[in-house]
Amino acid sequence: MPTNVAIEVEGLKKIYNGKITAVDDISFQVRHGETFGFLGPNGAGKTTTVSMLTAGLRPTHGKAIVDGLDVSHDPEEVKRRIGVIFQESTADGDLTGRENLEVAAGCFGIPGSEGRSRAKLLIDQMQLSDAADRPAKTYSGGMRRRLELAVGLINRPRILFLDEPTLGLDPQGRAGFWSFIRKLREDDGLTVFVTTHYLDEADEMCDRIAIIDHGKIVATGTPTELKDRLGGDAVNLRIQDGAPDLTGLLSGQPGVLSVQKQDGTYRVKCQKGETFVPRAVAACTEAGAAVLGVTVKRPSLDEVFLEYTGREFREEEGPTATDRAVMLQRVQGQLRGRR
Amino acid sequence: MFRELAALTRREFLKLARNPQAIFTSLMLPLLYLLLFGNGFSFNVAQFVNHALPPPEQQQQLSFLLDQYFRGAPNYYSYFAAGMVGFVTVTATLFIGANVIFDKLFGVFKRTRGTPAPSAAVFGSRLIAGSAQPILLAFFVMGLALAFAHVSGLHGLSVTLPVGPVGALQIVAAIVLLSVMFATVFLTFGVLIDVPQTYFAAVNLINLPVLLTSDALYPWGTMPAWLQNVSSYNPVSLAVNVLREVMFGSGAYPYGPGVYLLGLFAWAAVLVGIAILLVRRALRPLE
Ligand SMILES: Nc1ncnc2c1ncn2[C@@H]1O[C@H](COP(=O)(O)OP(=O)(O)OP(=O)(O)O)[C@@H](O)[C@H]1O
Ligand SMILES: [Mg+2]
Repeated sequence: MPTNVAIEVEGLKKIYNGKITAVDDISFQVRHGETFGFLGPNGAGKTTTVSMLTAGLRPTHGKAIVDGLDVSHDPEEVKRRIGVIFQESTADGDLTGRENLEVAAGCFGIPGSEGRSRAKLLIDQMQLSDAADRPAKTYSGGMRRRLELAVGLINRPRILFLDEPTLGLDPQGRAGFWSFIRKLREDDGLTVFVTTHYLDEADEMCDRIAIIDHGKIVATGTPTELKDRLGGDAVNLRIQDGAPDLTGLLSGQPGVLSVQKQDGTYRVKCQKGETFVPRAVAACTEAGAAVLGVTVKRPSLDEVFLEYTGREFREEEGPTATDRAVMLQRVQGQLRGRR
Repeated sequence: MFRELAALTRREFLKLARNPQAIFTSLMLPLLYLLLFGNGFSFNVAQFVNHALPPPEQQQQLSFLLDQYFRGAPNYYSYFAAGMVGFVTVTATLFIGANVIFDKLFGVFKRTRGTPAPSAAVFGSRLIAGSAQPILLAFFVMGLALAFAHVSGLHGLSVTLPVGPVGALQIVAAIVLLSVMFATVFLTFGVLIDVPQTYFAAVNLINLPVLLTSDALYPWGTMPAWLQNVSSYNPVSLAVNVLREVMFGSGAYPYGPGVYLLGLFAWAAVLVGIAILLVRRALRPLE
């Protein structure tokens, strides 16, 4: 195995209770230092995959190597080397943020004084200093997520698993969270395996992406590759009534993939829409057709996602981890309110 | 192993300290029992003494009756107070396993399980904190019952023998063994069960029969022979026997306190052994 591989998955499969196939024979590699996005609709098998990679769940079949260790053979050593942010909140509400961190440090066998200084450092980094000595149940959603991240980093992992880390955060919270991750990546060369439903985040943060649906990987590539596979940018040109037909003219432009005419508008699929537009406008004007308006739309990862996973609404058989997390947050909120 | 155990044990005690209401409630129940049950249910054997007899024979008869009914305790309250110590030790362990289930529901357990902390530390930390509570409560009950003896108008615990260091150690050993044993049983339930309702049903299935077949509360002399027999093997009775023998004398007992302690130890060893097998399986590093 090449040494720059942080995670190697081969033919990984999980069947729950002998009947529910949650992850169905997936294979992929993540390189050291890479941020790898794992996207998929609810119930696709993301959390199940993360659980297997983080040595929480035994794979039914297949192999998962994390930092050179087989998770089935060496679960404890894998846990020692990685950091995890679970989809649901795991902080102890009765304990302060600092205490949560110190207990987590102890669970890794880190000596007390070292644990305290690491806790302090992480509290500062995560901007939790003001709240560090307050019970975690009084934290806002954003503070809770930052505490989760801090706990996940207490053992200084080289590989970090994030299962929907920004679920329920406001745009500021999300931006703040990702700026921490970005810094860690730059400073420490951290490898990040992240699942998320926020595709704009994945687009911006991930070096590579895999899309999983019904337990199978349906697409892999860099965000740009995936978007390009959809057939490039969509350019709409609105032309003055009575102009000659321009289909041939537009089709002849470099990088054009297809041209469709609908009423007075030409829908052009092309690569590099930003260089196509000035050329097209010039050509149309030269041909005596006045261009009234232009729109250029790059395909977003949302479209890639929908293209690969279908547009129909998912009816789940049982509650997924997201449902459970939301339910749990509600219960926790109620308990907090009562105290 | 030691650092993990220390960190997790610290967490358990921090959680206890953050919930003073829970401590307060756990003190209220025995207090009410000691005040209401112990003072409400008075069973006076002196009424059976034949007062026509000469005083020395009356004394002999009373002492016989006390042995028969209260196994040597000077009155029902003293008999009952020793039983209450065993009783609260068991009831104080009931919630220990529920805490594991709530930690599972709130994701806290998942965090611990996501670390390399060994399962022995995960279980051991909860066992330490979970046994400390009933042990402290047992001494609280004893202290309270002793104090009541000095409040006029209240019944209280009267110790009729000088309790030396050996006796005191025997009492402590009985309380510790009983606490650890039941804490282990209920913690194991907590580890194996995921639903609070199921847990409490299972706990009651153990708790009620154990307490009701012990001689913690009933006067010994009023128990039918079969119940006396069953009760002789009951761990709560074994612990309470040790307390009563040390405080009131061995006259009414076939064996000395050491034998009952040995019996308790045997119970504890078997139950802890079974628990280790089950818990090690349930808390494997990889599910
Ligand atoms: N413990 C379990 N027992 C049985 N089935 C399960 C279990 N956990 C998950 N599943 C099922 O496995 C499938 C994959 O679930 P998983 O939680 O991995 O999906 P996910 O992609 O993380 O979804 P979400 O986006 O909602 O978090 C779902 O059909 C789910 O119902
Ligand atoms: Mg999930």
